[in-house]
Amino acid sequence: MHRDAFSTYHPLVNLAFFVSVIGFAMFLLHPVALGISFVCAAGYVLCIKGKKALRFGLIFMLPMLLFTAAMNPLFNHQGVTIVAFLPNGNPVTREAIIYGIAAAIMLITVITWFACVNAILTGDKMVYLFGRVAPALSLILSMSLRFVPRFIAQAKIISNAQKALGRKTSPFKILSMLVSWALENAIETADSMKARGYGLPNRTAFSIFTFTQRDALALLFFALNIAVILAGVAAGAYRFRYFPDIQGEWTGAGTLAVFTAYFLLCAFPLFLHVKEALYWKRTASVI
Amino acid sequence: MKYFPLITIPLTIFAGIHLLGDRRFLIIAGLVLIQAMLPIIVLFEGRKPPARVLVTMATLCAIAVAGRIAFFMLPQFKPMLALVIISGTALGKEKGFLIGAATIIVSNMFFGQGPWTPWQMFALGSIGYVAGVIFYEKKIRRIPLAIYGALAAIIIYGGIMNPASVLMFQPQPTAEMFILAYATGFPFDAVHAVATVVFLLLTARPMLEKIERMKVKYGDV
Amino acid sequence: METYRISNLTFTYPNRAAPALDNINLTLAQGDFCVLCGHSGGGKTTLLRHLKPAIMPHGTREGEILFNGTPVNDLAPRDAAAKIGYVSQNIENQIVTDKVWHELAFGLESLGLPTPQIRLRTAETACFLGMQAWFERDTHTLSGGQKQRLILGSILTMHPDVLILDEPTSQLDPIAAEELFTLLAKINRELGVTVILTEHRPEEAFPLANKIIVLDNGCIIYEDTPRNAPRNILGILPTPMRIFHGIGASGTCPVTIKEGRKWLKTQTLKPIPPVQEPPPVAPALILRDIYFKYEKNAPDVLTGVSFTANKGEITALLGGNGTGKSTTLAIAMGLYKPRRGKITAHGKITMLPQNPTTLFIGKTVQEDLHEMTQNLDELEHIVRQCRLQHLLDIHPYDLSGGEQQRTALAKVLLTRPQILLLDEPTQGLDTAYKQNFAEILRSLANTGVAIVLVSHDIEFCAEYADRCALFFNGSIITQSTTRAFFANNHFYTTGANRMTRGLVENAVTATDVINALQKGSL
Repeated sequence: MHRDAFSTYHPLVNLAFFVSVIGFAMFLLHPVALGISFVCAAGYVLCIKGKKALRFGLIFMLPMLLFTAAMNPLFNHQGVTIVAFLPNGNPVTREAIIYGIAAAIMLITVITWFACVNAILTGDKMVYLFGRVAPALSLILSMSLRFVPRFIAQAKIISNAQKALGRKTSPFKILSMLVSWALENAIETADSMKARGYGLPNRTAFSIFTFTQRDALALLFFALNIAVILAGVAAGAYRFRYFPDIQGEWTGAGTLAVFTAYFLLCAFPLFLHVKEALYWKRTASVI
Repeated sequence: MKYFPLITIPLTIFAGIHLLGDRRFLIIAGLVLIQAMLPIIVLFEGRKPPARVLVTMATLCAIAVAGRIAFFMLPQFKPMLALVIISGTALGKEKGFLIGAATIIVSNMFFGQGPWTPWQMFALGSIGYVAGVIFYEKKIRRIPLAIYGALAAIIIYGGIMNPASVLMFQPQPTAEMFILAYATGFPFDAVHAVATVVFLLLTARPMLEKIERMKVKYGDV
Repeated sequence: METYRISNLTFTYPNRAAPALDNINLTLAQGDFCVLCGHSGGGKTTLLRHLKPAIMPHGTREGEILFNGTPVNDLAPRDAAAKIGYVSQNIENQIVTDKVWHELAFGLESLGLPTPQIRLRTAETACFLGMQAWFERDTHTLSGGQKQRLILGSILTMHPDVLILDEPTSQLDPIAAEELFTLLAKINRELGVTVILTEHRPEEAFPLANKIIVLDNGCIIYEDTPRNAPRNILGILPTPMRIFHGIGASGTCPVTIKEGRKWLKTQTLKPIPPVQEPPPVAPALILRDIYFKYEKNAPDVLTGVSFTANKGEITALLGGNGTGKSTTLAIAMGLYKPRRGKITAHGKITMLPQNPTTLFIGKTVQEDLHEMTQNLDELEHIVRQCRLQHLLDIHPYDLSGGEQQRTALAKVLLTRPQILLLDEPTQGLDTAYKQNFAEILRSLANTGVAIVLVSHDIEFCAEYADRCALFFNGSIITQSTTRAFFANNHFYTTGANRMTRGLVENAVTATDVINALQKGSL
């Protein structure tokens, strides 16, 4: 992953950001809102993952996009502007086609945001976040993350040991042998936990993440923008409908305020990224 | 706490259908997911499970994920469902549910989280839960386990994941869309079911014996 | 101040007649560095586990164990967790979480410490043990030595009064083992922490210890300083002491190689004749100019390895970690294809993996062996050869390390190999098991099997191998008969050879030196 500023923020800030942008991406279906979220998500994923993200996008997402876009006009027959008729006599409407495209962009946007989630909310941050609400479950996750690479390595060792015995062993048998080995060893791991006092009352949760003023300011920034968006939605400034005909607010002051707030929210990590890139460029040129 | 969702879930559905506008189905589904999963987690945490239980659960969860990564590269030929069924059978419904849900979280840390994560958690968790309800502390025969495995893959897993994709990405879902989703999803579900049956037939007995041995040798796990 | 006072402790496991610990009386002072010795199954681990209430074994128990003057079972759980640090044998199994920092903090989280304090203590510990560079790493990316250090750290953060370690070096290579002892000495010296450990390798442990306890069949048969250790526990003594007692010398017994050399200078040594090169035998496995790397862009792991293993001989491949020994074995086995070079094997080739449990599949030893063959006569023969008669009905995972090793060997032998490869076969085995294992190997070689083993265990190879080869940086530096090999090396050689360097030529084992010292034969 490329150097990224937002990933250095506290996991709670990361989580708050992604929950809100993904939530809004799924519910704000105004074309402008869809566009804002999509551009920000795509820009950010290109920043942190580079060209690899582009290739993944083309190979994996294009078929999904087409499928989702096609599903709507085929099965949704609302809308007033009829473009054609299906063999079964049902109409294909312009509104349904546009709605299908909107749904497809929504899908791509959400998936793209999740690509960012996977890069930013790393395993240890997830374990930390779970630990705040469910410490035992979080410990299970942490241990599993420790075990998985270990078990994969052991599976390879078992498979080699069996080959060295001059036979090919079925993966099912190897899996079964791995289970024996893992369960027998697990008992010692449990002893190691007990030996270090696991099970004493009032356990605390430590993390190397520190919540600083910068994190508080970021949360405040999110909260302000979210408040503006929600207020706009509640006040009807953000009205948009696809059926039976396409109608909606585009230019009202309230509408523009919602769009501005939405853009500021979605583009937050992108701002940070560009700012940091410029800083390093400047420092490098000074040196 | 335990029966809380039985009241709140119908309430949520009723209120949702009558009160919410666009995308109400997604909101309802999301709320139902949370209400179904939360009590199990809260009850589990409240019991302060001992080290041995946690390690055993983490081990089974990691085996499911490692098994998927190490041996079986084919997209739908996953051992996870079978292992979760075995876990539920050996350790009971509550742990079965949590192992299923945790397996998804960990697996997706390697393969990528997505909007499907909570649905998968609920689906695989439910499969572990139901396995616990049917088979826990009963005499185990392979055939009923395998039949349950096939049904779980098609009815529970497919039954949750296929409509989920429609709910999430079609703001105005229609009945045809759900049918199409099932139809296109069915070949994958069928492969998943076959994989699960094969895994259960070949590995369920030895694995259950192994977990049983740990129970006998070291006490409850 | 006494850390532990144990009086009249007798302990019996459930369903066993004989007690595992028999009337143990023991006192450990604050700041002691104590080494617990004895054969496997002699009760060492059982005794260690009695020192910590959370992991005390189940069974019937009599007697009293006082920790800092309080019976251990009356300790407040928090004190028992923090003050008594325990490290069990398997390094990997000790590590619970996926991050180094989390592992260090684990015990402190259990104690319920607030974040700022945990932050301070983990930072301090990481500095003390030199772990800063990998503080944020994933635990599975660490080397064996680093893992062992992490485990120590995760206990030191809790500020223990005593550190209990069960065979801490059994899975480490010699360099990492030495580092660990240096660290333990530092913890003992600078923090005043009492250290109790069990150990199979006396060479490094004895010079550090101020107290040796020898357990045999659950009884303490010796408890005093290392220097006074009697000759009846010869098998577990370091080389200088073995030689000293071997000739029945009197005076102050040397413990370290340095002391041993000083003492040897006062003795008369008769010369040892060089051993004649044995007659050439038929080769069984020939490797010629093997080049290999694991990945396309990685550096070569093997750079032109050539060696020959003969029928009926035991060939040992020695060398540090990461020099390509195990890779060579895997290539000879056919697990990987060499990039360049030729392998010729005359006869069936199989390998005993480093971890014997990788071969276990059955519910009993019997089942595991039956899986390999239907021929009952052959089975019985191998069972006898590997001395498994009394173990057939036991679950393979319930066996001791040495017994698991022999069961795995039996499985391998049932494939009737003419060439047998062994990867670190002596790791974690005690002297008795090693000897036992070596005897089986020798009887196998006598039937014409070519045996190739990879090992860190210099003393074992010096004692039992016919030929030795030294790996360095992906190829073999030197290769000759065992005696010539060790006689010509300077650092990478046995304790006996280092002790006699410049005093007498060609001494490789303690027995050589003892023979050279025998009076009247000059």
